[in-house]
Amino acid sequence: MTTATFILKNALRNKRRATLSVLSVAVSLFLVVTLMVGLREFTVPPEDIGASLRVVVRSKISIANFLPARQRQIIERIPGVSVVSPFTWFGGRFKNEESLTFAQFAMDPKQLRPLFGEVHMSDAEYEAFENEANPTACIVGKLTADKYKLKLGDRITLESILFSTPVELKIVGIYSGTIDDRNMFFRQDYLDRTTGNEGWVGTWWVKVRSAADMQQVIQSIDRAFANSSAEVRAETERAFQLSFVSMLGDVTLYVKVTCGVVIFTLILVTASTTSMAIRERFRELAVLKALGYRRRELFAFILAESFGLALFGALVGIGGAYLLYTFTPIVSRATDGLVLGFEVTPRIMGFAALVAAGIGIIASVGPALVVSRVSVVDGLKTLD
Amino acid sequence: MALPLRYNVRNILVRWRTTLAAILSVALVVCGYLMMQGIPAGLQKSSANTGDPRNVMIVRKGSTAESSSQVTRAQFRLIPYLPEVAKDPQGRPLVSADTLVLISLPRRDAHGEANVSLRGISPTGMQLRPQAALVDGQDRNGKITASRWFVPGKREIVVSRRLAGRFAHFDIGDTFKTSGQELTVVGWMDAENSAFDSEIWMDSDEVRSIFDREHYSSVLVRIADGASIESFTNRIENDKRLPLRANREVQYYESQTQTAGFFQIMGNFLARMMSFGAMFATMNTMYAVVGARVREIGTLRVLGYRRRTILASFVVEGAFLSLIGGVLGGVLALLLNLIDLSFGTMGFESFSEVVVRFRVTPLLLGKGLFFAIVIGILGSLLPAIRAARLPVIAALKSV
Repeated sequence: MTTATFILKNALRNKRRATLSVLSVAVSLFLVVTLMVGLREFTVPPEDIGASLRVVVRSKISIANFLPARQRQIIERIPGVSVVSPFTWFGGRFKNEESLTFAQFAMDPKQLRPLFGEVHMSDAEYEAFENEANPTACIVGKLTADKYKLKLGDRITLESILFSTPVELKIVGIYSGTIDDRNMFFRQDYLDRTTGNEGWVGTWWVKVRSAADMQQVIQSIDRAFANSSAEVRAETERAFQLSFVSMLGDVTLYVKVTCGVVIFTLILVTASTTSMAIRERFRELAVLKALGYRRRELFAFILAESFGLALFGALVGIGGAYLLYTFTPIVSRATDGLVLGFEVTPRIMGFAALVAAGIGIIASVGPALVVSRVSVVDGLKTLD
Repeated sequence: MALPLRYNVRNILVRWRTTLAAILSVALVVCGYLMMQGIPAGLQKSSANTGDPRNVMIVRKGSTAESSSQVTRAQFRLIPYLPEVAKDPQGRPLVSADTLVLISLPRRDAHGEANVSLRGISPTGMQLRPQAALVDGQDRNGKITASRWFVPGKREIVVSRRLAGRFAHFDIGDTFKTSGQELTVVGWMDAENSAFDSEIWMDSDEVRSIFDREHYSSVLVRIADGASIESFTNRIENDKRLPLRANREVQYYESQTQTAGFFQIMGNFLARMMSFGAMFATMNTMYAVVGARVREIGTLRVLGYRRRTILASFVVEGAFLSLIGGVLGGVLALLLNLIDLSFGTMGFESFSEVVVRFRVTPLLLGKGLFFAIVIGILGSLLPAIRAARLPVIAALKSV
């Protein structure tokens, strides 16, 4: 019998207990991975392909404040700016949905192609959207179209939580290819007319000529409206996205504390299981001592066993999470399409594996200390 | 005949070393559950606590939220003279024309910005909202400073004490710029854990002028004692000049449940996942407990106790064990409840920072304990079955 088989046999001699401790490590690490991936998806949202050249301009007061439409000409004249489009969040509710399930933006259809090159749609669909003869034209992302079984030519009415009048739109295009194929776009001039909110837009989306122009364009836009009645904040699309993270407030802390409690509980459970397993074997360990095994060898036995069980649990838990989230649409289905990406990154898996390793080590310390302290005679005297 | 409960209780206490980890893990899960559900409970409390039963809130017809509502000045001018409107001792009608604006402000810890709800109210506005009262605040140097209400017509604001802890420039005497104008903080208020704890207040007409708003957002009206709220809401509903709708203020806030619902679902999911860990711990412990008492079980069987009695006894023991854990977790959560912990995030309804106090309600405590007992029963079922199935002779012979 080699040392390795000796350890393995020991670990598995109470199969039920081994299974339970592997499972508890697995479930806990699965939860830790889920929480961390969720947090990451919220705090580090994926970046769109064309984002590096886009600037978002919002009111300096807050994103909920409108900007005057007359700002457009001033922004267009700023050197380095190639495209400008209004971009107004409508906040529409689809049919009988209780909450907002996808976002709608009013914009200038002619600027869609230059601004969002990644939007894939047939030329006919583009033309129909850009054609001013279709004032109620709108295009929807493929995900939303699939979800609600929408097709070209369908008419939909959306009630807004922000504007008083609903909009009635006709679908002229279904697009794909962006990072979030759920949004809907329709004409800003139609929104103006329907709601009577003419002359105001939500935000400006701007495309710069080259990445080198970025900083200078942002500064110029900010400066152009400084000390005006509608001061603005221009920032890169990425910075704009990340500004929502700060609004989450204590949610980040909430997730971290939960992870902490899970890990702490796991340490407790694993440590007690290990010490249970060792206590049963006190006499045997005393025999080993009597046979001439040294303390550090006994410690190594215990450590290897607890470490092995923890890592096996980690393999099941982390691997399970990876397989589940990578190859099944479970998250998107469970959240009704609200959360799209749920990427288990190597970094998160590495962290969870480290936690498992740490737990394996910590759990073995207590029992190992007891074993090393006890004299052979006392150990042999113990009854189960 | 059932085994006496004392038998199980003593067993748990005697073998505390084995049972401690299981008890503590149940305690942690229950405490975690209560903490997580403490957030939606706080949010619910905040919606339930907001508004006065004698108040009616008027918004534009067809809008479900204050944020999408507009009341023109011409419409507003008609309201104070309606017969059901209450008057204060000076004879002024108790009506407040509110203007709601979101402003983006830097957080105190310099971690980015968040939206804050700024509510413009009429000079009678605070009389209509008796929950909100001034409290002593701090100035920039941490010195306790007395608060006062804003002076109508001045660019002064009163901020909620809970928000003051979270945003920069919210100490008394601080100023900050928004929309090109400088606002001065003159007071802190506490609104008894209501939705007003997530707002800052100033003079309504000042808000309209600073933020270039033509219209008010909503109108809050106190109905006189003896007058009927229904007759007032009907009057508004049927008045051709007013395309407005009146609702009880209390009702409006009670219907704001989305944010609470989200945290409730999330907390339930997490607690259920966490309870697996505690269940495995209980299972392990109970298997060890059964394993250590094989002879004892054999003896009991010889004495005439039936299999199902043994089964029940071990399930009860498991349930009791995790009940101890549950109580421990409950006490821990109650201790955390004593310190004034608040939680802030973006509310789905207001799109701005919502701050609530954690709340461990008696109902939640009950649910937590029930949760613990379920963990105990599920965790001890398999070990108990094993105990019940032990063959008598072999059990007696075992060492």
